[in-house]
Amino acid sequence: MPRLPYHLLRLTSKSPLLQLLLRECRDLESARNELRWLREHAISSVQNAGGHRDERNDSWKPLLRSLCVKRASGKPLQYLLGSEFFGDIEVACKPGVLIPRPETAAAVTYFAERLCSAARKLPSTLRVLDLCCGTGCIPLLFQHVFAKNWPNARDPPHLSLVGADISADAVQLAEHNRLLLQQSLTGRSNAGSTWASRHALDSTAFFQADVLRPEQSPNPQGIPDLMTVLRQIDVPEWDILISNPPYISSQSFHRDTQRSVRLFEPKTALVPPRPGSSDPGTSQDLDEGDTFYPRLLQIAQDVGAKIVLMEVADLQQASRVAALASDTSVWDGIEIWRDHPRGKGPHLEKCRGEFPVRGSGHGRSVVCWRGEGTEWLQMM
Amino acid sequence: MLRSAWICSRCLFRAIERPSRRWQRSFRTTTRLSHLSENLLTRARAIASEHATLKKQLEKDYDVQTAKRAGELSRTADLLKELERLKDALRELDNLIRDPTTDNELRSLASDDVSDTNSALETTTQALTNSLVPRHPFEDLPCLIEIRPGAGGSEAALFAGDLLHMYQSYCVNSGLPYSLLKYEDADGVGDPNGSDRQLTEAIMEVNGTGAYGKLRCEAGVHRVQRVPATEAKGRVHTSAASVLVLPSFPDDHASGEDFNDPKSDFFIDLKEVRQEVMRARGAGGQHVNKTESAVRLTHIPTNTTVSIQDSRSQIANRDKAWRLLRSRIAQIRREAREDEMRDMKRSVVGVAKVGRGDKIRTYNFQQQRVTDHRSGFSIHSLEDAIEGGSSLEQVMDSVRKWMIDQEVAQLVAIESNNT
Repeated sequence: MPRLPYHLLRLTSKSPLLQLLLRECRDLESARNELRWLREHAISSVQNAGGHRDERNDSWKPLLRSLCVKRASGKPLQYLLGSEFFGDIEVACKPGVLIPRPETAAAVTYFAERLCSAARKLPSTLRVLDLCCGTGCIPLLFQHVFAKNWPNARDPPHLSLVGADISADAVQLAEHNRLLLQQSLTGRSNAGSTWASRHALDSTAFFQADVLRPEQSPNPQGIPDLMTVLRQIDVPEWDILISNPPYISSQSFHRDTQRSVRLFEPKTALVPPRPGSSDPGTSQDLDEGDTFYPRLLQIAQDVGAKIVLMEVADLQQASRVAALASDTSVWDGIEIWRDHPRGKGPHLEKCRGEFPVRGSGHGRSVVCWRGEGTEWLQMM
Repeated sequence: MLRSAWICSRCLFRAIERPSRRWQRSFRTTTRLSHLSENLLTRARAIASEHATLKKQLEKDYDVQTAKRAGELSRTADLLKELERLKDALRELDNLIRDPTTDNELRSLASDDVSDTNSALETTTQALTNSLVPRHPFEDLPCLIEIRPGAGGSEAALFAGDLLHMYQSYCVNSGLPYSLLKYEDADGVGDPNGSDRQLTEAIMEVNGTGAYGKLRCEAGVHRVQRVPATEAKGRVHTSAASVLVLPSFPDDHASGEDFNDPKSDFFIDLKEVRQEVMRARGAGGQHVNKTESAVRLTHIPTNTTVSIQDSRSQIANRDKAWRLLRSRIAQIRREAREDEMRDMKRSVVGVAKVGRGDKIRTYNFQQQRVTDHRSGFSIHSLEDAIEGGSSLEQVMDSVRKWMIDQEVAQLVAIESNNT
């Protein structure tokens, strides 16, 4: 890591806490913001612990200091504060589960808004499956945006959302997040969107499942495979499949990731497991980061998904994944979305003459659709 | 004796000359409201007669539009009736006192009554004036107060901080809820409680209905004269800070203003706004975990920039930035419109409304004096004023009266110009 410029150190010479935070933040503005948030957090947690209701009381100061020391070592702010804002909603975070990223939120928000604008064509029940759900942020945000943007004149479709993750911690946290969101709705007025949201949250569930493992093959830790879980909950058919799987190759993990990500976030959520030679159905020429995508596309076919939305690392991976999808020749259309699908810039460009690319930023998601999905996305 | 061997003639003349006019401060005085101008009375009478005809019309057949108009006019008509009654009463009392046949007891009673009637007349006149002066369209709205230091370096920044404190205490004292939208010091976003750096910009939102009506008299350049904390030699410095008061518009269309209506002041074409979010550098996605949530909006035609980074939620920051941008743009548009109006009026009434450029108030610490240059009102309890106490309310009240005065003067001028 490059040294901090001298002028920054001199500017912060009076504030040791700020200097601690600078080690991780690298610029003054974000260090100051983080210090403010950490201070607010320290004060409120001291107050909640039954301390004095007086801000001048200094009992929060040691806590703030320890938080700053942890932050200086690279521990993500979201783990220290226990939450992260994902689009419109706040989701709880804890070590061991990947922190939701704003790019994912942008893609999910855009996706849900687009579905809402095709309200006339959507079926009366919409089943959405999220694989590698982590904090459960994707289904929760999806239903939130959906309820908010749904045109008032029509009855919203019944949303049935299920998230699956291999980590028991993640499934537990996702369920916790669902309850938190439900609680936040209880005090609200009984407006249409609140009602729809409450309804959707009631039929949201999270399960532990091994997504990569083919059907009926045992997992050493005893985690059931996805298909078995889906059969158990008796919903074999799904309309929409969303996934933000681990997509970083181990080489890129050591080269490109930020220190705090590398040291503190769960590696299982970032780097796909190395395919063992014994595993059937894995081709050896597959890029390590792409491990999940053939399996995801297979699942999409098996459950009869009409639309698939998968997050990827960059435009190269996006075109590799898009090529994988087009090889299956079951999809009517494939598109690549950048970080900000609605953003300015070339609205639709052809990537290497093959797949259309939408929006601005890095290549971030691959979207495939077929049959009715074409109408839902208004891809006529 | 003079110490110097010679004195140049200019200095000599200056020494013996009487203080020239430029040293004398000309305080504006409030026009007396006890006697209404003839023009205003004619206007009031015209309204009253219109009210009477409308009422007759309503007796014949009821119509919602007519009833509404009559309702609007009824206050003026009632007040005018009350005014005439009081004037008659005053005339009668006067006659009674002058009449030599009146006995002494009755005369003393009558003279007591005269003062009562006079004060009643004064309040009625005031009320009538108010009813004739058009209400400010944003008077009921909450407002945003923006404070920035002006000329005077670090002392100006200290003073800007004092002003912020003053308005905060004022809001507490008068029961107006407020929140600090933005507090920036020399290093960027600061902490209003613990920052020792100088303030560069502070924006507070004062909620509660009528906050804009109460505080709009505060907009302008505030000047301070004192020995600053940063001054080593004890010299008095004069510095300034600017205060901008904007109406704040609620999120929804509650105020009757529709953001999507292109005719509204608050309408902003999305294409004209450049939105910049601080994006993660490098690969993005799972590779990095950035906490930056700042949002910057630039309205390209007016080059107005708003930057907000208070909250961890980018969405919340964006909403806040939009609210601020809408307020600013609306104010710019309103000012442009008012400028146009003012140019028209200026030919009639001279400098009527004080623009942003002029200083409006002085806080003189050595004399413990607060003077408002618009109303010419001075009060010698600076400590209380700067703590947002009742003295500040008195000063502000004088300005509000002055503002009404000015509007009346304009109305009269316009009326007389039209006729």
